Amino acid sequence: MSQSAIDKFSSKVDLSMKEFFLNMQEFFLFSIRAFITIPKIKRYWRDFLDQAKIAGTDSLPIVLVSSVSIGALLAVEVGNLLEDFGAKTMLGRSTALSVIRELGPLIMGLMLSARYGSRNGAELGAMKISEQIDALRAFGTDPIAKLVMPRLIAALIVFIPLTAIADFAGLYSAALLAEHYHKIDPGIFWNAVFPRLVLKDFVVGFLKAPVFAIIITLVSCFNGFIAQGGTAGVGRSTIKGIVVSSGLILVANFYVSKLVLENM
Amino acid sequence: MIELQEVTLRYGNREILKRVSLTVEDNKIKAVVGPSGVGKSTILKLILGLIKPNSGKILIDGVDITPLKESQLYPIRRKMGIVFQGNALFDSLTVSENMGFFLRENLKLSEKEIERRVEEQIAFASLQGYETARPEKLSGGMKKRVAIGRAMIFNPAMILFDEPTAGLDPVSSKKILGLISSLRHKNNLGAVIVTHIIDDVFQVADSVAVLYKGEIIFDGETESLHDSTHPFIRSIVSEKILEQ
Repeated sequence: MSQSAIDKFSSKVDLSMKEFFLNMQEFFLFSIRAFITIPKIKRYWRDFLDQAKIAGTDSLPIVLVSSVSIGALLAVEVGNLLEDFGAKTMLGRSTALSVIRELGPLIMGLMLSARYGSRNGAELGAMKISEQIDALRAFGTDPIAKLVMPRLIAALIVFIPLTAIADFAGLYSAALLAEHYHKIDPGIFWNAVFPRLVLKDFVVGFLKAPVFAIIITLVSCFNGFIAQGGTAGVGRSTIKGIVVSSGLILVANFYVSKLVLENM
Repeated sequence: MIELQEVTLRYGNREILKRVSLTVEDNKIKAVVGPSGVGKSTILKLILGLIKPNSGKILIDGVDITPLKESQLYPIRRKMGIVFQGNALFDSLTVSENMGFFLRENLKLSEKEIERRVEEQIAFASLQGYETARPEKLSGGMKKRVAIGRAMIFNPAMILFDEPTAGLDPVSSKKILGLISSLRHKNNLGAVIVTHIIDDVFQVADSVAVLYKGEIIFDGETESLHDSTHPFIRSIVSEKILEQ
């Protein structure tokens, strides 16, 4: 490789690193501003209600479909595995742990990243491109307080009941499959669920909901706010928001589990 | 009064504005002309404090806005209204809601007072009958008039126009220029117009600044543009529309 090619490559790396760290700095400041504006929620309660409907009620079908599918799949696969060891009656316990601690919140997080995150990214990106965000600032409205903070609060509030619903739907579908596919009595299934679940299991699962809410909202909104380059730019920023938030959800899922399970 | 003093702005290594100085007096219409992509719209964003310069001062009624925080800028911004090139109307709101949006957001006015002010602007922009229409149902000229009405809603002292007639048909352009003139003559407002259409400048502006390669190469009375010997100015005066 010639010296000039190396120079060119290193300057490219240098530039992308610089851009990455500048973006990180901007994201950090953006996130702080989103939290600082929380006391203004009274002023933006209508925006909050709109966003709560979008993040909550409107997201319910996709959360239900995915959690029911995962619960059913778990029941079939884990049931088959346990049958080999003659421990089919443990299906309730193993499904409950998987759904409540891990798969319920994780699937909900990924689905909401795709649904709520993409909506945030596309909507705010389009507003950025059409100068509507500049218009808000120009006429004296803080765009982060108006557009980001209500989304953040809505996600923080509605993701918790959504997690509970996803858990219940997943467990219920697993119970149905256990009864009809593995011929396990529902009493045996549920007896292996509730009496054996401890506080730690719920803390692991439900702590993930607000963490995912913060990740999805801030990452998708930030990418919308920095969209540039016309409609193609809106597409790019939306995709980036979903990819980054989904990746962060997977990483956060692991660390929250590790942190809680090691410390409780 | 708006004053830009030795304002320099860089994006990365690219210098957009080089020590630009400009004064816009109250109750006067100032045009800023120059080729596309030269930084004309950037000047409007600098005046509103939407972006910060790398160096230099921007004075609004004697107050330097460059060191001010976002929250300190809001009352200063309300002294001005802006009409964006793409209008920046909210698609989900009707004409009336668009016009009243910032009153509802930022001022504690009664709904009756907001309606009165909106009606006033709808009459000014000749949009009676379209109050409940959404922007997607309006023509380019009508959207521009909604944007002008919205810009007037706080009763500002100065309106900033970003390419007000770009992309409009001649009839709509004439209407918009008529509205801009009436701001000056009937409402006693000042305005800054950035444009690349020289005819607009001769029709409405009291004075003009020509921005070329990041520098102001002319700043004076509109009519004295004809006397300039600068080759770029001579070319724009003869060709009427700047394209690059």
